[in-house]
Amino acid sequence: MSKKKKRIVYPVVFMLLVTITFTLTLALINEFTKNRIAFNNELKIKKTLLYVLNIDIENNDNEYINKTYDEMIEEAIINDTKVYMASKDNEIIGYAFPIQGDGVWGAMNGYAAITPDYKQLLGIDFVSHSETPGLGGRITDSKYKEQFRYLELESENGIYIIHRPNSGGNVDAISGATGTSEAVRRMLNEDIDVFIEAVGGER
Amino acid sequence: MVSKKIKEVFTLGIWKDNPVYRQILGICSALAVTNLMLNSLVMGLGLIFVTAFSELTVSIIRQFTPKHIRMMVQTLIISAYVIIVDILLKAYYPAMSEALGPYVGLIITNCIIMGRCESYAQKNPPLYSFIDGIASGMGYTIVLLIIAFFRELLGFGTLFGFNVMGEAWVSWTLMIMPPGAFFMLGILIWVAYNLFPVDEGGKVKGGATNI
Repeated sequence: MSKKKKRIVYPVVFMLLVTITFTLTLALINEFTKNRIAFNNELKIKKTLLYVLNIDIENNDNEYINKTYDEMIEEAIINDTKVYMASKDNEIIGYAFPIQGDGVWGAMNGYAAITPDYKQLLGIDFVSHSETPGLGGRITDSKYKEQFRYLELESENGIYIIHRPNSGGNVDAISGATGTSEAVRRMLNEDIDVFIEAVGGER
Repeated sequence: MVSKKIKEVFTLGIWKDNPVYRQILGICSALAVTNLMLNSLVMGLGLIFVTAFSELTVSIIRQFTPKHIRMMVQTLIISAYVIIVDILLKAYYPAMSEALGPYVGLIITNCIIMGRCESYAQKNPPLYSFIDGIASGMGYTIVLLIIAFFRELLGFGTLFGFNVMGEAWVSWTLMIMPPGAFFMLGILIWVAYNLFPVDEGGKVKGGATNI
């Protein structure tokens, strides 16, 4: 055995066997859970979209969320821009669109929704971000997000969101997380402007 | 005899030779995830699972493993178990998977696992190796929970998400930030060293350093 171990073939074969065993195990586990993980991710996006469009799904199970989503939200193209259109009783209640920007530690991704007349912001939410938990991470707190519900969009040179107490301020920043608040403000101003222009709304 | 040895493994892993405050292993994750008790608990459970099964596997194949490639084999085994934990969390506990973020993947860099595989599982039979993994993991989890207890209590006024300090509590923001963990860990190590002085002649295990 000890002589054999010094040869090159045995370690290579051994490593190969170990690798194959574990790769197979992982592949199997992955195969079994693939659908579930895809389902979870999809569900998360759906929840976010329903939230930004201000459709109440609080404390409801996954089935209800899926059903509500299928009933109320459909993907639509307006002037070559993909939007998620929500309607209730054949009346459009809003458009949701992805937002994206640089945070303090990394990229932030989320969705924002806007009323059909492009005059009010319906809501915003984040899908992923890497801000400091407890500080910048509080952008996902409902207290912060609720500030953007039905926010009047009055543009001055493409600026919609202004932090208080600046003149014309309409949103409170998070204390202790100035960098993150600024990043969110910049991202929203930019993406809302781009979106409204793209769908041809009046700015 | 068997139960005595098991007991010894547990006292070493959890108490006398605790991986965090005695061997100073696994510090990076101890600082990173301890701002909430629930995060710490899940992270600890993940580590117990990975350490125990990695040690078990390493110990089972220890007699067939050529000595010069054993590190490679260990790394492969550990990463496989870490990926299993990651997949399981994503599939069955998506909220926690999100809260722990990249730290689940970083379990692999936790020196406790490699340290225990190298210093214990290479030399001991599978059963004891498995138990040693559980003991070391528990030692780590307990330290994490102690740190998280103070950080969450002072930083959020909550424990496991339940408000215990009342509405008037003013959160101590520093505690939730990384420096809060540094201070807490420092204090903990200091207290541990004063309460249980290091036995100079004693056997010192572990050895690998961590960032």
